[in-house]
Amino acid sequence: MEKFHYSRADKVQRLLGLGAIASLAATVWLGLVTTPPDEFMGNLVRLIYIHPPLAWDAFIAYGMNFLASLAYLWPRTRDLRWDQLAGATAEVGVLFTGLLLVTGSLWGRPAWGTWWTWDPLLTTTALLFVLYLGYLALRRVPDDRELRARRSAIAALVAFVDVPVVYFAVLWWKSLHQAPTVLNPTTNKTYIHGSMAWTLLLGFIAFTLTYAWMVMIRYRIGAGEERTHEDEVNASLLARQGEGR
Amino acid sequence: MHQRADTQVAIARRQTRRRLRLVGAVISLAVGFLLYKTLSNSITYFKTVDQAIAARSSLGGSTFQLEGLVVAHTISYPNKTTVDFLIAGSRHHQIQVTNYGEPPELFQADVPVVILGHFVGGGLRFTSDQILVKHSNSYIAAHPNRVRAPNGSVH
Repeated sequence: MEKFHYSRADKVQRLLGLGAIASLAATVWLGLVTTPPDEFMGNLVRLIYIHPPLAWDAFIAYGMNFLASLAYLWPRTRDLRWDQLAGATAEVGVLFTGLLLVTGSLWGRPAWGTWWTWDPLLTTTALLFVLYLGYLALRRVPDDRELRARRSAIAALVAFVDVPVVYFAVLWWKSLHQAPTVLNPTTNKTYIHGSMAWTLLLGFIAFTLTYAWMVMIRYRIGAGEERTHEDEVNASLLARQGEGR
Repeated sequence: MHQRADTQVAIARRQTRRRLRLVGAVISLAVGFLLYKTLSNSITYFKTVDQAIAARSSLGGSTFQLEGLVVAHTISYPNKTTVDFLIAGSRHHQIQVTNYGEPPELFQADVPVVILGHFVGGGLRFTSDQILVKHSNSYIAAHPNRVRAPNGSVH
């Protein structure tokens, strides 16, 4: 019986997957069972173990999309693999932004008293979601591969303008949304109970691993699709050459 | 044969242009709407109590969102769907609020709120039909002792 050979990429992917699942499970366990309810919002606090990590993931995804697009546009580093990476990371980013909006809304109804409000942070996040949905739609328009990659890379640079706006929205404008608890550039003072803080940190790690895992899978699927497409084109060319003889 | 291929390429290009225009139009509409909401509603999402009092005459009876801290011992419920309370700004200015409709679960004294409504009469009485509760970015355990003791019991 032939033994299946795992490539290094397969091994990394499996490790990432195992790490992501284990850390997500630990986050859920700590978030739902071990950590205490909040003094003011009670059990609603449990959503913070996934909501800020989702935002973090979306920022990483769009940051990576920006860098990969820049690398594609830069003549010295131009390679279609950058475009594939940009596409993969944007898809995962849009998924996380969608989940971010949904979890925020689920928390907002009992905590604020509304599912949605035109608060600066919420509005600019919705804008971010739409911008990257547009970016993905643009990627789906069939065209010459190089031309499509260049067009998408330019669109990615434009869409990225909204990322810092989202991050600073609560600091620049009056907002219903609370300021960041961690990584808040305006203050060193944040108070979060010990086990809550550790669970939140674990949530960030778990979602970062999940992001990396998903992007890796999506990138490899994209590369596989690309190879299949090239094989089909080559086969079709060979068939035509055969017809011509 | 070549002519047929050229025609197919021309059709494909036309389809691509049409799709690009469609994608561009949909995205522009969505982005335009959200930018409009950002610029019109979000940038001045609410006025603080101090700002509202300073602009009292120009605000008249217009509807806007007002932010302030619910003053302790001022909440009363004249009936099931009405709540009266005072909200305060940073300079100890206060506005009397009457809200029609059920307040959110977490509405209570000493929390900041954003209320949607308008001034009534010529004084500092405000009528609202929506209360939104603001939260700080601090998370404090309700029962700090609710951790597992070494013997496994939960307190």
